Amino acid sequence: MKDTVIETKNLLKEYRGRAAVKELNLNIGKGEIYGFLGPNGAGKTTTIRMLLGLIKPTSGRIEIFGQELRRNRLQILRKVGSLVESPSYYGHLSALDNLEAIRRILDVPKSRIAEVLDIVSLTGEEKRPVKGFSLGMKQRLGIAAALLGSPELLILDEPTNGLDPSGIQEIRSLIKRLPGEEGITVLVSSHLLSEIEQMAGTVGIIREGQMVYQDTIAHLQEQAAGNLSLAVSEPEAALMTAVRRGCGGELQEGRLILPRMSDARVSLLVKELVEDGHAIYRVEEHRQSLEEFFLQVVGGGAL
Amino acid sequence: MMWRALSADWLKIRGKGIWFLAFLGPVGLIAMQGLNFGLRYDYLRAQYQADWWGGLIDNIIPFVPIALYLGGTLICSLIANVEHQTSSWKQLLALPISRTAVFMAKLLLCLLLLAVSCLLLSAGTVLLGLLLGFGDQPIPYADVLRIGFAAYAAAMPVIALQLWLSLSYRNQTLPVSLGMTLSLVSMFAVYLTEWMPLSWPTLALSAERPWLFSGAGLLLGLLVLLPGALHFARKDVD
Repeated sequence: MKDTVIETKNLLKEYRGRAAVKELNLNIGKGEIYGFLGPNGAGKTTTIRMLLGLIKPTSGRIEIFGQELRRNRLQILRKVGSLVESPSYYGHLSALDNLEAIRRILDVPKSRIAEVLDIVSLTGEEKRPVKGFSLGMKQRLGIAAALLGSPELLILDEPTNGLDPSGIQEIRSLIKRLPGEEGITVLVSSHLLSEIEQMAGTVGIIREGQMVYQDTIAHLQEQAAGNLSLAVSEPEAALMTAVRRGCGGELQEGRLILPRMSDARVSLLVKELVEDGHAIYRVEEHRQSLEEFFLQVVGGGAL
Repeated sequence: MMWRALSADWLKIRGKGIWFLAFLGPVGLIAMQGLNFGLRYDYLRAQYQADWWGGLIDNIIPFVPIALYLGGTLICSLIANVEHQTSSWKQLLALPISRTAVFMAKLLLCLLLLAVSCLLLSAGTVLLGLLLGFGDQPIPYADVLRIGFAAYAAAMPVIALQLWLSLSYRNQTLPVSLGMTLSLVSMFAVYLTEWMPLSWPTLALSAERPWLFSGAGLLLGLLVLLPGALHFARKDVD
């Protein structure tokens, strides 16, 4: 059993009688990258704000590093780095001064600033006022600020929101590097399944303030399995081959649609089709989108 | 812990025009009196023949309370805005620092800036007097210092209130317009009753027992601070 870093019990937050988060039980183990997934307005940010002590839960219990948050807030926060929603920065100050302002509060050595700037590859840009930074750079500065206190737990709320693909890629590889290099536990939230899938080991899905799913990403992938779509020169004949090999499948709009299968089976099937003389134009995997997945969760009641 | 927050705040207000404002107030007041005395130098010099310094101070005093109220309002708002502008509260308050320390650091910064203004006002008064050739009479240092600081202490309730409001509301329209209104009303408050805190800065400069009003201001200021700090420590941050 791994050590638990974050544990919440029956967490409830109500705004004017409406529950933004209810009966939330989070369980995050040490050294994990935990993906916190849910559509906009599901309660992700509310939960994260509660974990950081920014807002008070209406009821329920939060334990971080095995300590009650309400009573040991400062002790806990010393070991936590966070980035909540849109990047926070002082636009008129340089990146260096932004980090210095936080460093003075954290009281860590000055050399740490250069280190975190290096981790997020902002070295060389640190003297410019931050208001001239691109969104991606601001977001990276936010992560640098979160790392400044050498945290054991990193809480990142929508770190890739609004970034372009290369920015997303940078942040993603940065986040994936952290647990290995520094032994950090990471909680990262997003509204994109594909995003979480590529970073997280464990995933929690929240919908209308309630946790509807919490398990490993591998398990989720099985549950949210999509299908394989093949565009071939002679679909009917190809379908026969597929059925003969026990892959099942059907034809849709001239394409061969197969249920999800292992990589080895896909390669065998494709090899056979090619040897049979089929021309294969496309092999595509269709995943369910998060929305479809949710509909399934709602429709089926539970997973 | 508060000192760490203060040293961070010290860095954050750079280049925000806050220091400029703290300098502008006293420099403006002194420049105005420079103009006043410069234009009718011979007349005023003759009129205040018995006590030049007293005459100069009497001319500055009527403008000090309103300048303090306006300056306090704007400085509180500008300091708060440094955090409001890019929603830095969530980052700042998620750091391992108590909210009370953050609040007190902001208060201290605001008080420090206003103290600089008051000192500048006193120094400017001496400088202007000397330039006007009042140096032949002895400089009443105590009275000169009193111009700024007696009124400053008496203005504390409003400063504490403004800080609270400015830190609480993201939109600074309400705190600033309230501060402006209070400044304007304060000019007439002195005709109402001395129980009205708004009139205390004026009374602290001109009443028979001025220290009473400075002291009352400090006390009431502390009283207003308590709920402000408490509210700040407990509120939800979004």
